[in-house]
Amino acid sequence: MHAQRGLWLFLVPSGSVLTLVLLYPLGYAFYLSLFNYYLGAEPIFIGLGNYIALLQDERFWSSLRTTLLLVGASVSLQFVLGLAVAFGLYKLTFATKALNVLLFLPHVVTPVVAALFLRWIFMGRFGLIDAILIGLNIFPPDWLGSPNWARLVVVLAESWQFTPFMIIVLYAGLNTVDQSQIESARMDGAGNWMLLTRVMLPAIRPLILFVLAIRIMDSFRFFDTIYVLTAGGPGTATETVTIYTYALGFRLLEVGKASALGVLTLLITATAIALVIAFLYRREKGAF
Amino acid sequence: MKPSLHTQMLLFLALCAFTAINLTPIFWAFMVSIKQPVDAFAAPPMLIFTPTFEFHYSVWVERGFWRFLLNSVIIAVAVVCISVPIGTMAAYALSRMEGAKARGILFGLLAMRMFPHILLAIPFFVIASAIDLIDTYLAMVLALVAINQPFTVWLMRSFFLDVPRELDEAATIDGASLWQTFTRVALPVVRPGLWVTSLFSLLLAYNEFLFALVLTGSSTKTLPVAIAEYGAEDINYWSLSAAAAIGIMLPIVLFMAFMQRHLVRGLAMGAVKG
Repeated sequence: MHAQRGLWLFLVPSGSVLTLVLLYPLGYAFYLSLFNYYLGAEPIFIGLGNYIALLQDERFWSSLRTTLLLVGASVSLQFVLGLAVAFGLYKLTFATKALNVLLFLPHVVTPVVAALFLRWIFMGRFGLIDAILIGLNIFPPDWLGSPNWARLVVVLAESWQFTPFMIIVLYAGLNTVDQSQIESARMDGAGNWMLLTRVMLPAIRPLILFVLAIRIMDSFRFFDTIYVLTAGGPGTATETVTIYTYALGFRLLEVGKASALGVLTLLITATAIALVIAFLYRREKGAF
Repeated sequence: MKPSLHTQMLLFLALCAFTAINLTPIFWAFMVSIKQPVDAFAAPPMLIFTPTFEFHYSVWVERGFWRFLLNSVIIAVAVVCISVPIGTMAAYALSRMEGAKARGILFGLLAMRMFPHILLAIPFFVIASAIDLIDTYLAMVLALVAINQPFTVWLMRSFFLDVPRELDEAATIDGASLWQTFTRVALPVVRPGLWVTSLFSLLLAYNEFLFALVLTGSSTKTLPVAIAEYGAEDINYWSLSAAAAIGIMLPIVLFMAFMQRHLVRGLAMGAVKG
């Protein structure tokens, strides 16, 4: 036990950085959220005024709805596509390694660059899709300029970057399923669909919950793709809570209100995390 | 239970088609970057043209994108050099502590990983403005080191857990101090893990956008901020921004080639990255 005594010293450097650079600014954000504070002007203490204003602000509710819609749509799409491809790779007996690497590439591309790549696909007139459609004499819709198409493009862009993540994690998971379980299901005459849904998916449930939780959390705060693709537009059609916070803080310079919105986002995220962790830990010990 | 050759071929073709669609955006951007604007704007898209690398040269050399690359590299390397050593120390301690205490800290780290970055960006900006740190490498490096800590600690801890405790105990019995045990016994065993963690941290810092947007200025601007501004400009610069975008991606492709074997572990944990 002699060796254990000095161990906490090893935590000091990392702990100090986290305290100074994460926890202190976090506390400061809470503090700022209580002020009517335009950057450059004198801050005025208004208590919970910013929070009350936000809860009555239609733009806040609309950004929250947009966030939920985009997160729900893109995480579902990523999961379904990811699972289908992972199962396909699992069944394939050759060339899986090469395919894995190629499939994974979009995930590591810098998000801003990925968003530009997608913008050059969907761009009006000169983008790849429009160029092809016009070549075929079909009049294309305004992908980035009409609300519903723009939302779809944002979902596709998110999915382009994160389906590979789902594929690689789910593929790794499928490969851990006990071979004897699969054999015995086969003996009972289970087809591929039965095998996947009745045997394999239940076997990797902790992994699925974990990966879904992570993706939901991350897409909730996603910023880069939307900022580059649509900047929240047209109008506020693709404005998520994060984009709205950015606009408040760095365009309108309403630092106090933006902090309050950030705190609200944290509360919403924390609730989601608490639910997920409670769920994970009640059902499955050791999912992390 | 061998699947038939016929279904294997169909499956293979389907997966190839999916992969091809997936890679189209990258391929298209590359095509644009080596086309004259006249050709790039043609509808339907032309597949036969004279390729040129003048836009790659122009954007990286004449238009000074190399400076942004330099900024990105300075920041990313500094982040790794600070974040990985301090994170590794913490990870070692957490892998050797009693379960309950360590678990509390690990959950705290996980919670920090979930912070909305935008909530931190606001105080970062206000504080950095107040103490004149906007547009300095220091502000950016500190911010990214902190954001990176939870990921680094969780990932390194998973490598230390694979090191048998008997090794530590043997070293302690031989009279090694805690620090000696850490540096001479545990660290050499986890060297592959250190590489993986460093490379993932490097990637994270290289790709980061929001904090760079808020904290950097004309003299420290990183590649993602530069390309976001540039890409939004006039469509006439299309070939140039495509060339820049492809160039930004190249180091990452190299990274992939290097990392292949370690991807899954980094990712399952990378799920914990911030």
